[in-house]
Amino acid sequence: MFLYSLLAGFLFGLYFSLIGLGLNLVFSVMRVVNLAHGDFLMLGAFLAYWLFTLFAVNPVPAVAIAFAGFVIVGLPLYYLLVPRLLRAENPEMLSFILFFGLSQVIEAVTTIAFGTSERSIPGDQLGRAVAVVAGLFAGHTVENGPVELLGNTFPASWVASGIVSGCAVLLVYLYLYRTRLGYLTRAVMDNRAEAIATGIDVHRVCAVAFGIGIGLAAVAGVFAPFMLGSITPAMGTEVTVTAFAVIVIGSLGNPLGTAFGGVIYGISYMLMQSYYSSWANVLPYVLLIVILLLRPSGLLGRQVRRA
Amino acid sequence: MIRLSIIAALLASATAASVQAAQAPAEIKLGTLYASSGRYASISMPVFDGLKLWIDQMNAQGGAYVKAYDKKIPLKLIAYDDQSNTATAATLYNQLITQDKVDILISDSGSVLTSVAVPIARDHKMLLIDQTGTGATFFTPDNPYIALMADPVSSIWPKPLADFITHDGPALGIKRVAMLYATNDFTGTQANSVRKFIKEANSGVEIVFDTGVPTNTSNYTVLLNNIRAANPDAVVHLGYAGNDIAFLRNVQDNGIKFKFLFCIYPGLESELLEKNLGKKALDYVFTYVPSSAIHYQTNFGMSLRDYSGAWHKKYANAHVEFGFNSVAGYTTGLVLEKTLATAASLDQLELRKAIFSLSGNLKTLDGTFELDANGAQIGEITPLGQFVPGKNGSPELVTVWPHAVANAKPIYPRP
Amino acid sequence: MARHLLLILLPVVAAFAILPSVYTNHLMLFNFIIFMTLAQGLNVIYGFTGYLPFGYVGFFGAGSYGFSLMVIHLQAPPFVALLIGAAAAVALALLLTPLLRLSGVYFSIANLAAALAVLQVVSNPNLEEITKGPYGISLRGVFNPTLSYGTAVAVLAATLALVIYLRNSHFGMALKAIREDPISAGMAGINVVRERVVAWLLSALIAGLAGGVFAWYVSVFYPETVFSVEFSVFAIVFVLFGGNATVIGPILGVVILYGIYNAVGISTPQYFQLIYGVLIMGLVLFLPNGLVSLLQRWGIDVP
Repeated sequence: MFLYSLLAGFLFGLYFSLIGLGLNLVFSVMRVVNLAHGDFLMLGAFLAYWLFTLFAVNPVPAVAIAFAGFVIVGLPLYYLLVPRLLRAENPEMLSFILFFGLSQVIEAVTTIAFGTSERSIPGDQLGRAVAVVAGLFAGHTVENGPVELLGNTFPASWVASGIVSGCAVLLVYLYLYRTRLGYLTRAVMDNRAEAIATGIDVHRVCAVAFGIGIGLAAVAGVFAPFMLGSITPAMGTEVTVTAFAVIVIGSLGNPLGTAFGGVIYGISYMLMQSYYSSWANVLPYVLLIVILLLRPSGLLGRQVRRA
Repeated sequence: MIRLSIIAALLASATAASVQAAQAPAEIKLGTLYASSGRYASISMPVFDGLKLWIDQMNAQGGAYVKAYDKKIPLKLIAYDDQSNTATAATLYNQLITQDKVDILISDSGSVLTSVAVPIARDHKMLLIDQTGTGATFFTPDNPYIALMADPVSSIWPKPLADFITHDGPALGIKRVAMLYATNDFTGTQANSVRKFIKEANSGVEIVFDTGVPTNTSNYTVLLNNIRAANPDAVVHLGYAGNDIAFLRNVQDNGIKFKFLFCIYPGLESELLEKNLGKKALDYVFTYVPSSAIHYQTNFGMSLRDYSGAWHKKYANAHVEFGFNSVAGYTTGLVLEKTLATAASLDQLELRKAIFSLSGNLKTLDGTFELDANGAQIGEITPLGQFVPGKNGSPELVTVWPHAVANAKPIYPRP
Repeated sequence: MARHLLLILLPVVAAFAILPSVYTNHLMLFNFIIFMTLAQGLNVIYGFTGYLPFGYVGFFGAGSYGFSLMVIHLQAPPFVALLIGAAAAVALALLLTPLLRLSGVYFSIANLAAALAVLQVVSNPNLEEITKGPYGISLRGVFNPTLSYGTAVAVLAATLALVIYLRNSHFGMALKAIREDPISAGMAGINVVRERVVAWLLSALIAGLAGGVFAWYVSVFYPETVFSVEFSVFAIVFVLFGGNATVIGPILGVVILYGIYNAVGISTPQYFQLIYGVLIMGLVLFLPNGLVSLLQRWGIDVP
């Protein structure tokens, strides 16, 4: 029971780091609190649902489509909202409200378009992709079904989203630490004023980060029907709060920190669910508060206290 | 003397007639709320659509027959969107009562959005037509201003389920029961009832796993593993539609086959669950048989077949599935139709009297309408059913308990 | 200060005292009072100290539950229960004072987490004996719409008086000095920590009282009802729209925005959420300092 919870928590946690990843990027680069993060995730989920039901597109290619599509949406959205916001006295606080408004708009439009009932994509769709990939590695056909890990079985969809999440963390890490634009992004993260002074086109850097952030939310959304049971237009808010817990537990700026936060969150959640199930949902909140108070910078990171 | 009394009688009858003519309103105002977005939207919209279907049908016939005025009067629906927000709902209920001055007050679907209406209706001495708010705390002897239309009160939902387990269970080999429930009023109350019924039956059946999880739980893999470790003969899962979808998905994705598995929503919202889970996932699952799946003998209103046809015709392009909640909204309409045709006046307590006079006599597609003394619904019971693989691959729901309505034998253990 | 009391407090209180006899949707008026009280309570902590408590509803819920549990378990008379409810909110605030060490958004998030944690605890079925768990509260015997409405007006009056005091006193000035620059304020001899904590507790006290009155008036509710984050969000939006750290701003915010909310909700329900969302976004982008900043731009001094 203990080992099972641990492993399940690890897989589940990897997925939660994917949920937190985009939010972390947006917040650490432009100090904007994207309260609509969960709603972008929901939109990504509906895109995957829609691609599947109308064109029978498997969720795996849908990942690429969702990412590209939402980066393209994110760039103009950045220029529409953020530069104006950053001119205000207290952008961090106002962004809270602005993106709350955006989240309301997104939920309303989605509700009008799709209705309010639960939607999902059959679980074996991801399983099929996993079976095909595993078959390539094993050199023989693998049956579509639960996957065995250390003597315990898990849904194939969990393994698939765990792998994709891990890859996403790695790619963001490589982007930040191995590309020129990523290097500039980190400069903006560290000190915005200085970055402007040295002639970096801050808006370009931020717009790309914003686009990637929203694209990552959409990618997480593609897996939501498998990891979160089903999807509804109202699911966004809860996801946003969880994403916050994950990035606070990890640390700001560093994608590896988010991965760490996600895994810690996932494992502790699953252990709680195993042993004190009715209290499991208190955990993320308490964890968040305790970590903020005891290690305010997350597990690595920067100063967040004052006075 | 005689002359005088004749004049008086004439006068009286003349005033009575004129009063009656003057009083007959141009329309009967029905006020209700619905949630087009937010948490409760998925249970609210089908109920609302069902109610609207009934109203349109009435008005197409020139209105509902109102006994108080001995004529057909068109119905006017005044409906506001509470967006699943209870504070907004409270204001809007008040708006319906005090500003729109509705003749009949109908609550939104579900216990949470109904709860705020209970004290408001009582305060304004308006009878609350409670559609599906099944919370046991709403129905108290000191409050005459509420009646539950279309669902049984939550505490008696699981009676057939528990009876089956305790009566027929031991002979079949069901001794160890695992129960997992979402901790909200609706499913928490049912879990309490299951526990109570099993204990009182004293039939050797024991509950070996009994765990509540928060209602927003969307992931059951670890819990399933724990249930499996308890080695139960029967698994009872009590949750909302979203919980059931997540739970059954996890059962399926993990390749688990419980010998007996009960969930609430496969029966209640079959279309929705089939859409989300595929046809295979429901095979051999036990569930409540709702009115949307049993063809009750009716003595009033459309039969299930006709209603389902009318629904799918009217809402062919809507995003709302046909299921037990859509039957609930229409049932509310039927009870109101009969009430208006019975009540001596539109006075709220007269309406109540008329509704109570229907108790036990009215048989709709939702079953027998029967109220207890506090206005809680106890007639429209939820028999135990099981999905079996049908001829064309799609699962078919058969009723297995109580014997009086059963049309098949339960299949246990699951093949 | 006397002028503000006369020109702001008196008309507002008089309006809410007279309106019930003219307009019969009393609950809508009651909700106006509750939101105005919450907006002003939030103004005390956000407007004057800069801390944005996203989980402000936690104190409201604590007040509601404090009130209800006193009535249920001890059959306490409403006014006693109300005080205990307020005390519960203040106690929660005391417990959460360490959060004041966090800055900006971190404080907001931690506070929201705290409110959600309290909700999870209150609605936990293991505590059914004490809190009634997820099954909700149903109060009997204290239901009194007239008296509870009157009490709500009194709570609003006291809250307004407090904000007017802050606006015109040394204490309020000190708080604002801390908000602008805590280090220089400390050097100027202001006890930064103490002043902040006092403002924090006062603001929790207001929400606790509002929550208690709300429970009294509504009398049947679920944990989700009184811990709904929408209470926080609404209060924040109202304050921002009107303009924080003023007396008039939050009042305008509630009257205009909550007025529109109700009007839109009643007339065009299908686009309710959409319109409200667009309105909020437009507001932040084009009027970030609230309605009163417009007036100030025209050279009008706004209390």
